[in-house]
Amino acid sequence: MNHVAQRLLTFPLILWGVSLIVFFSIRLIPGDAITAMLGTEAGLLTPDQRASLARYFGIDQPVHVQYLNWLGGLLHGDLGVSVTFGKPVLDVILQHFPLTLELAILSMIIALVVGVPLGVLAATRNERLSDLVVRILAMLGQSTPNFVLGLLIVFVLSVYFGTVPAMGVFTPITEDLGTNLLQLIFPAITLGFAFAASVMRISRSAMLDVLGDDYVRTAHSKGVSYWGVIWKHALPNALIPVVTISGVEFGYLLGGAVIVEQIFALPGLGRLVLDAVTHRDYALVQGTVLFIAFNFLLVNLIIDLLYVALDPRIRLGNR
Amino acid sequence: MHWTKSKKILAGAALALALGGTAIGLPVQAAELRMAWSQDATGLDPHKQTAFSSIRLLELIYEPLVQLNADLEVVPAVASSWSFSDDGLTLTFNINPDAKFSDGSSVTSEDVKASFERLLNEDTGAAARSNFLSIASIDTPDPQTAVFHLSQPDAPILVAMATANASIVPAAEIAAGNIGTKTLGSGPFVLDDWQPNSKEVLSPNPYWAGGKTGVDGITISVLPDETAILASLRAGQTDFALINDPLVATLVPSEPNLQLNRAAGLAYNVLQLNPSRAPMDNLKVRQAMSCAVNRQEVLDTALLGEGRVTGPLTMPAFRSDPNTLFCYQQDVEKAKQLMAEAGYPDGFSATVIAATGEPPVASAEAQVLQSQLAAIGIKLDIKLMELNVYVDAWLNADFDMAVALNGGRPDPYPMYNRYFTKDGNLLKVSNYVDDTLDSLMQQGRVETDFEKRKAIFQEFERHLAEVSPWIWLSTSYSYTAQLKTVHGFEPSPLGSLVSLSHVTVDE
Amino acid sequence: MHILRALIRHPSGRIGGAIILLLLIAAICGALGLTPHDPIKAFPPDRLKPPSATYWMGTDLLGRDTASRLMLGIGLSFIVAFASVICATIAGTVIGLFAAWWGRPWDGIFMRTMDVLLAFPAILLALLIISIVGPGPMTSIVAIAIVYTPIFARVVRGPALSLKHREFIDAARTFGSSESYILTRHLLLNLIAPLTVQFTLALAWSLLTEAGLSFLGLGTQPPSPSLGLMLSESRNLMQHAPWLMLFPGLTVMIGVLGFNLTGDALRDILDPRTQERGA
Repeated sequence: MNHVAQRLLTFPLILWGVSLIVFFSIRLIPGDAITAMLGTEAGLLTPDQRASLARYFGIDQPVHVQYLNWLGGLLHGDLGVSVTFGKPVLDVILQHFPLTLELAILSMIIALVVGVPLGVLAATRNERLSDLVVRILAMLGQSTPNFVLGLLIVFVLSVYFGTVPAMGVFTPITEDLGTNLLQLIFPAITLGFAFAASVMRISRSAMLDVLGDDYVRTAHSKGVSYWGVIWKHALPNALIPVVTISGVEFGYLLGGAVIVEQIFALPGLGRLVLDAVTHRDYALVQGTVLFIAFNFLLVNLIIDLLYVALDPRIRLGNR
Repeated sequence: MHWTKSKKILAGAALALALGGTAIGLPVQAAELRMAWSQDATGLDPHKQTAFSSIRLLELIYEPLVQLNADLEVVPAVASSWSFSDDGLTLTFNINPDAKFSDGSSVTSEDVKASFERLLNEDTGAAARSNFLSIASIDTPDPQTAVFHLSQPDAPILVAMATANASIVPAAEIAAGNIGTKTLGSGPFVLDDWQPNSKEVLSPNPYWAGGKTGVDGITISVLPDETAILASLRAGQTDFALINDPLVATLVPSEPNLQLNRAAGLAYNVLQLNPSRAPMDNLKVRQAMSCAVNRQEVLDTALLGEGRVTGPLTMPAFRSDPNTLFCYQQDVEKAKQLMAEAGYPDGFSATVIAATGEPPVASAEAQVLQSQLAAIGIKLDIKLMELNVYVDAWLNADFDMAVALNGGRPDPYPMYNRYFTKDGNLLKVSNYVDDTLDSLMQQGRVETDFEKRKAIFQEFERHLAEVSPWIWLSTSYSYTAQLKTVHGFEPSPLGSLVSLSHVTVDE
Repeated sequence: MHILRALIRHPSGRIGGAIILLLLIAAICGALGLTPHDPIKAFPPDRLKPPSATYWMGTDLLGRDTASRLMLGIGLSFIVAFASVICATIAGTVIGLFAAWWGRPWDGIFMRTMDVLLAFPAILLALLIISIVGPGPMTSIVAIAIVYTPIFARVVRGPALSLKHREFIDAARTFGSSESYILTRHLLLNLIAPLTVQFTLALAWSLLTEAGLSFLGLGTQPPSPSLGLMLSESRNLMQHAPWLMLFPGLTVMIGVLGFNLTGDALRDILDPRTQERGA
């Protein structure tokens, strides 16, 4: 528990570091909200016009003053106002988050439902044909760039099936479950493919490890049936690394999947932050990155807790 | 978000009531237009926004005093008629008595006055302000008449007014400081909802002076990937879409259920040289580059032949045959000779900047130019930048050369005064002006006789091509793609979508 | 040598190694100009030609031979991948070692900084760096290296910490070995196994990251092709010329596959647990 307390203490420290980097690096990029809005026409502005627009966008003060103001707001739970949305940053983030969350959950479900059984199967049939097939699949899954897969799915669906998932506008799960699932299933498959591959590999190797352990052999020799051993003794232990790897992957997915969201035109967190950078919507970039980092840290903390909870033996070593 | 939802529910209830009252037994028209584009509007203030998508959205909501039709002629919008005084110093508009904002209030000369005063106010930060500096004062003798007093004759001002950037907005909304956060215009549609980078929802303006719109509403989705737009059209999930990439556009005609609308645009692809830097400061070097470039090949290769070779003037009324311009036929020998005369027989190295995906063909264009200029020993390094970084470098003239797609205007004066006159706001970008260009520009501005103006500007164009501060390449098309169930759209050279107001959709 | 022999004996090591070797040969030929056609010069008359005897993998929009470009592109992608992973390995090792060796407060400072970088969305971190410095192969290398440094720092710090307290280090210290000697000699020797595995696997990610960045238009600058740039250029041509996406896409897949297989084999060979069990 001491470990957990320590993690909780460093939590705000890490977030502060993230805020520092994002705040100053976004301002180091050439171009600002004015050129983002006006493009080359910004050159037609007189210095006075430019100054008044800078005031309007809140970028007229020295950077350190802007930072202190922003930090001050942050301590009161105020992330500022997005200039592109004209709304509080937190509202904008919370509006985009459900999609990202659901996509991450769906991808994880796909990964676990496909990955764990295949991994276990491969482990029990070690070095046989089905093992080989599963391992090749897993290797392919890990080696396919997700944008190639995504583009391919859109292309094949539209050319050969005359349909595409509804794009652009997101239908929340609360509004219409069917539409929602149809919309997210293909992006989730795109993301889930590589995810499933790593789950498959991890569950296979973890299963192999466990099957070689003494207590499993003992159980077997005591007359427990083969699948009984697998099911009751081996699987629960083999699942520990699977939980870890899924958690880490899930943590990354919560940060939004920029490229897949781009291809399937989904308004999730990944595209939100990319568009915010494009529009030099500083408050939105800062807020979103902080939110993503917070989720990432939180998920990792939970994995650690789960790890301790699941594995009383606390294995040391390769991780 | 609660706000949007409740509003949607209310609108739905109203629609249900209306249908219940009138439409029982009649076939229900599926009259909503599902539209898609890859780049979303960036804001809602018609006086401040200059991004292509913003203008396209805002001109459906707001109207300027006058508009340009598909032939680029000035036609009525908020103003039903207008006249210049004989000395060219007074411009009088008669406002259409039917023109109403979407809350039902009439558009008056006070609104016109307030709108232009806002535009001219430096604090507004309106980029179009520079086009209206000749306006000295505005009188409003009665609610239907607005009189503009000009400090000097300004023939192009009428065309300059025909843009969403000179929209008439309600005086009361200006006073309340609502422009940009709340939209209230006199155009055909009302913006019900905007979720940036995701979607817009438009419904008809019941008070629109043009009558009833052809569709019951427009939903615009932002699909950032144009292949995805094509896929969505092909699947019949989008009715109408804007396409930027010629590569995608050329695929549309081969789809049986789709139709491609092309309009020859006024924007031009250009290789901008920076004459403030050596060796581009040398006239002969610039001319050599112009001679070394094969414009038709750039067009055919990088743009799949989509467009036409152009000189500086792209508008049909003013342009001349490009073949009459300096070195528009590739002449590598002459180019080599010019390079030798300039003292660079072995060429030189330079960097060319281009924006990623803006236009989509920028990278391909830069590569073809690089390959062609290599023939006279010029070694180009291509630097592809994120659009905003590019804009920043462009505005600071921080480049040797730049591949650009610059916007065109229906009149040469507002199109080039910013770059090639002595007090042009973007002279710091073009870094080139001479007495001939400056004086021709000033003559063209005050001349009101069309034929004489045309002669002046053609001379301007000839000279500009010869001194080659930039190498003009080609115009491109603006594309829209639609299902064949959509009728009545008229493509415009400016890319305007205003004709969506009478578009209808089959069931 | 011992490792190499073991690698050849290992089935996935054999396949992975063969793939990498093959791609390296193609890349070296590409770098030496031994390509069927000029990979850079535009040749408009032959644009968008499908694969044929002349052009094995077809031509692109500007009439350049895909096969030749691919050979050059593999080299560029490999250079970016190797250079960035080497940088990340060195930076990560140095940070991890110092964090472990110096202990508090440096351990906390270094490792929390790594945590900050880890918590930052990776693509965005790379994007910010590239936008600030300006695109180019050097920037891509630095950006990808920064993204992967924390992983190496973590890989190094854990074992380094546990080794620090083992007897043989204490013994070395009492025998008067200097601190730097202990560091390099003993710690590094013991870290080579986990680092090699991580290094190979990171090459696979790095190839994918480069492709992703180029897909967003932020990678290598044209006309030099990298695998990612070729993929992103082929994007809107998927229907006109599917070969433009097919071959670079397959190459990325095969390359990543090669590194993954090799990484797996190395893990099997070098993993301390398997070694212990074997012993």
